[in-house]
Amino acid sequence: MADIVDIAVNAEGFKTLVTAVQVANLVETLKGSGPFTVFAPNDDAFAKLPPGTIQTLVQNVPQLARILTFHVVPGKWMKADLEQVDFVTSIEGSPIQINTSDGFEVKNATVLAADIAADNGVIHVLDRVILMG
Amino acid sequence: MLSTLIWFPVLGAIAIAVLPLRQLKLAALTISGIALLWTLWIAHQFNFTNPLLQFQEYLPWLETLGLNYQLGVDGLSLPLLMLNSLLTWIALYSSEEEIERPRLFYSLILLVSGAVAGAFLAQNLLLFFLCYEVELVPFYLLISIWGGEKRDYAAMKFLLYTALSGALILVAFLGLVWLQGADSFAYDALMGQSLPLWVQTVLLSLVLVGFGIKIPLVPLHTWLPDTYVAASTPVAILLGGVLAKLGAYGIFRFGLGLFPEAWATLAPGLATWATVSVLYGAMVAIAQKDIKRMVAYSSIGHMGYILLGGAALTALSLVGAVTQMVAHGLILAILFHLVGVIEAKVGTRDLDVLNGLMNPIRGLPMVSALLILGGMASAGIPGLVGFVSEFLVFQGSYSVFPLQTLLCVVGTGLTAVYFVILLNRTCFGKLDNAIAYFPKLEWRERVPALILALTILFLGIQPTWLVRWTESTTTAIVATVPPLTQPTIASVNRPVNSPQTVGWVVPDNSIK
Amino acid sequence: MTTATLPQNRIPPSTHEFADIIHRLEAGGSMLPDTPENLMQIIGIYKAYAVPMDFYWRNLLYIAERVFLNPLPAFKYFLPQEYLDLHNHYAGDDADIRIWRGEATAHPELLEFIQKGELKQKLPKLLHHLWHDRINMEFAEACLRAMFWHRGMGGQFDPYLDTDEYKANADRAIRAFFRGNPAMLGLYNLFPEMFLEQVRELSYYANLGLFWEVMAPVFFEMSDLYDEGKISTVPEAMNFLVNGIFAIAGRPIYHHVYIGDECYEIIPKSKGFMWLYEAALPYVEAVFYRTSPFRGTKSYNAQAKQIPTDQNEFHYGILYADVFPVGSAGIPPTLLMQDMLHFLPPYLLDYYSQYCRGEDDMLIQLGISFQRSMYNVTSAVIQALRTALLYPLDDTNSKHLMANRQFFEGQLDRFKRPEARLRDIQQQDYR
Repeated sequence: MADIVDIAVNAEGFKTLVTAVQVANLVETLKGSGPFTVFAPNDDAFAKLPPGTIQTLVQNVPQLARILTFHVVPGKWMKADLEQVDFVTSIEGSPIQINTSDGFEVKNATVLAADIAADNGVIHVLDRVILMG
Repeated sequence: MLSTLIWFPVLGAIAIAVLPLRQLKLAALTISGIALLWTLWIAHQFNFTNPLLQFQEYLPWLETLGLNYQLGVDGLSLPLLMLNSLLTWIALYSSEEEIERPRLFYSLILLVSGAVAGAFLAQNLLLFFLCYEVELVPFYLLISIWGGEKRDYAAMKFLLYTALSGALILVAFLGLVWLQGADSFAYDALMGQSLPLWVQTVLLSLVLVGFGIKIPLVPLHTWLPDTYVAASTPVAILLGGVLAKLGAYGIFRFGLGLFPEAWATLAPGLATWATVSVLYGAMVAIAQKDIKRMVAYSSIGHMGYILLGGAALTALSLVGAVTQMVAHGLILAILFHLVGVIEAKVGTRDLDVLNGLMNPIRGLPMVSALLILGGMASAGIPGLVGFVSEFLVFQGSYSVFPLQTLLCVVGTGLTAVYFVILLNRTCFGKLDNAIAYFPKLEWRERVPALILALTILFLGIQPTWLVRWTESTTTAIVATVPPLTQPTIASVNRPVNSPQTVGWVVPDNSIK
Repeated sequence: MTTATLPQNRIPPSTHEFADIIHRLEAGGSMLPDTPENLMQIIGIYKAYAVPMDFYWRNLLYIAERVFLNPLPAFKYFLPQEYLDLHNHYAGDDADIRIWRGEATAHPELLEFIQKGELKQKLPKLLHHLWHDRINMEFAEACLRAMFWHRGMGGQFDPYLDTDEYKANADRAIRAFFRGNPAMLGLYNLFPEMFLEQVRELSYYANLGLFWEVMAPVFFEMSDLYDEGKISTVPEAMNFLVNGIFAIAGRPIYHHVYIGDECYEIIPKSKGFMWLYEAALPYVEAVFYRTSPFRGTKSYNAQAKQIPTDQNEFHYGILYADVFPVGSAGIPPTLLMQDMLHFLPPYLLDYYSQYCRGEDDMLIQLGISFQRSMYNVTSAVIQALRTALLYPLDDTNSKHLMANRQFFEGQLDRFKRPEARLRDIQQQDYR
């Protein structure tokens, strides 16, 4: 099986995310042993952000890394695990609300594909970039 | 020379009424401005050291009636003449640009001004009475046409009270002439002649009640609050500033002047009466919710000081009384003017609604500042003209009537109470956002208040300019009063230039 | 931003006190009614605000970076040319993101004002300063002090000021700044907390300076777009702000101090502090909502009970402020209004001279316009938060729409207080 980064690189529709992870120097981390749970916004999700948002973040690596680490949770949280909790705490430090009462929603994003298993964790694909707050 | 002061405004009034002039306000201001300058010219020519009448004029008129055209001015009337000329100009300036029936309004004001000047100048009792009655009808019209709410009621009340006042005075004058068997109403002919004391006392009582209505003294005052409140600002200025002074002047000239002995007998009663007026006026003013009414009641209180000064009958207290007439005229004029401006801008005179006018941009900061100055002057804060006159009255009266004087000092304290209430509610606090869209202040609203404020301040710092006109005349008046049985009164006829009491206020006449 | 089909067609209408305004927000509108008059007022004010703001941010950074702990900072408002020439990161050819199409250096109207002032005369800088004919930096300082005084308005910046890491960074800078000054070093050793607190305040100087560095070009661009006819409604103006907030959300917030040739990073960029979370949101909370009552209008005496005992209950910001005392001495809004008065666009000067007392009360009239414009900015913040944390206005899921509704209602609950001016700005005759 591949690690989280490899899965994202090889899958369709995660170009922005992969680029961002590379710029933010998080490749090594996400290739580490983990395990991590990654909420991965697809390209459409990034495209929903108003213009300029990504540009500024890409220019400022620590800030970009902070947004990206908000999408990463330590431990391997499968959908079944997340159904048991109301929120999980991201690596960034802020909580992420989980709502599984009606579909599978992470904060204000909907999970498009859940439980994509990797060597060092699991990926849930989101239709929206989630933000702290 | 003096006739000009009477006839120039009267002719001006006729000219405005008749001639097809466009700029009526400007014309009226010019006429009254010339009269003011003329008054100042007379004042400039006036000899301070001469206690007697100056610039006398005499024209035989109806000699069979004893009515002659006799004019003269002395230290008692000159300050009041100046006050009349100044306040007429101020009243005209402060009137609205777009007033209804301007021809009639300006004519009436000028007519009043001429008649009042005539009353101050007349040296013939009948001539005085004529002038005194002549201003009555114009005032009635000024109130009933241009007044505020309840103007008809107020004007009628004013007319009835003042007509009664005139009637009493006429009775007294006729009585004096007939009882003495004199063939003339000339003032100097009647002076010094003596009747039995009880007759004097009766006649003096008539004069006192007659003029007491005009001043007014409690309990003859009930026309005043209604009239002052109903009258428009310029008319209120003239009523409070000038007309009330006519009453006080009359009491001194024709009460004290003609019946000095009876005056001395009645003096303790008069002092008590004055004290009652002072305290009553102040306490009723405290209870008022309407700021114009509050100022009106303050007027009752402050006129009491004049009577106190007259009753004490020392040179100093008499100077104080005359000074108080001028000071009160100036202060009341500025207060009425500012209250009028506030009512025009804010739309209310209610103490419970007014608030925060000191607000620097949306409030009325200049009006508020001058209102504070006016309130301070009225409460007798040193440095302002109100202090000078009240201090002179108290200083001159204390040795004669200590209790009454002390109570009047308490009255001054009460003045501070209601002015603090007025200023605190009106000027300070938070401006109500819902109503604070007042129109801009116009120059006609600023200039009169500024002129009055500067005068109040100047005379407060330089009181000699106020007292020097009067001093020799009042000294002479005091000298005419015969020594009385009452030791308290006799003992106070001390020299005017007694250094420890008057040295700082009364000027050295030799300088001029 | 797309204009949504009205959500209240899919969910029942709101029963909130401000239901009309909530429905407007749900339709993509602003708390400020969309009228041409409102638009003209707020855009004109944005422009008039942006010019002094261009000075504020430069001067704030100058004080944070250069004046630093100078014990006698008499000349801290005398901005050196270097800072006037400093390139704004969001304007000019070399911008990170070019928000304003104008220059990166100080605005020309600002430069002219610094030279000639209100007197329109070239005088030595010192005379302009003493005559108070200058930009009122005291207002900017009042804003950052409000942020510093309330503290804890969210974000990671404020908690960081109490960490050992921050103290160590500050310590290095303090010792370097006072190198060769035994008196100050001795004082520092005696009262280290006092110096640290000063540095914390200076960190807020940097914070606010970096925040406003962004806002000035945003407002300039809005004014230009309005002049070009490209912003023609209030919601368009609000949406420009929403997009602006997102575009620069990731802008780093930091505090660097330059001592000699060396740069001391008291708060390094690598902390990942962001414009949105660490500057904008705390600023809105501390300055728009809370601040503190104008001195002289409320008593701080505890027995008088004129101010709340709980600091969270403070609501004296521009959204609540009574603008009518503007003009009174010593209150920060007067300073700002006066600064804006110098740079009003001609159409606003004309407009104000037609109402109330014309020129005489222009300070208050523009203050009310400023209040309107800040309600629009707050609307943009609310819409931006809704975009970031909740759902699109045209979402088809009624649960999502309900969540949006609750969010809007929760935000507007704060304007139920009697002193809030939300009701007033709905009317045009509040001026």
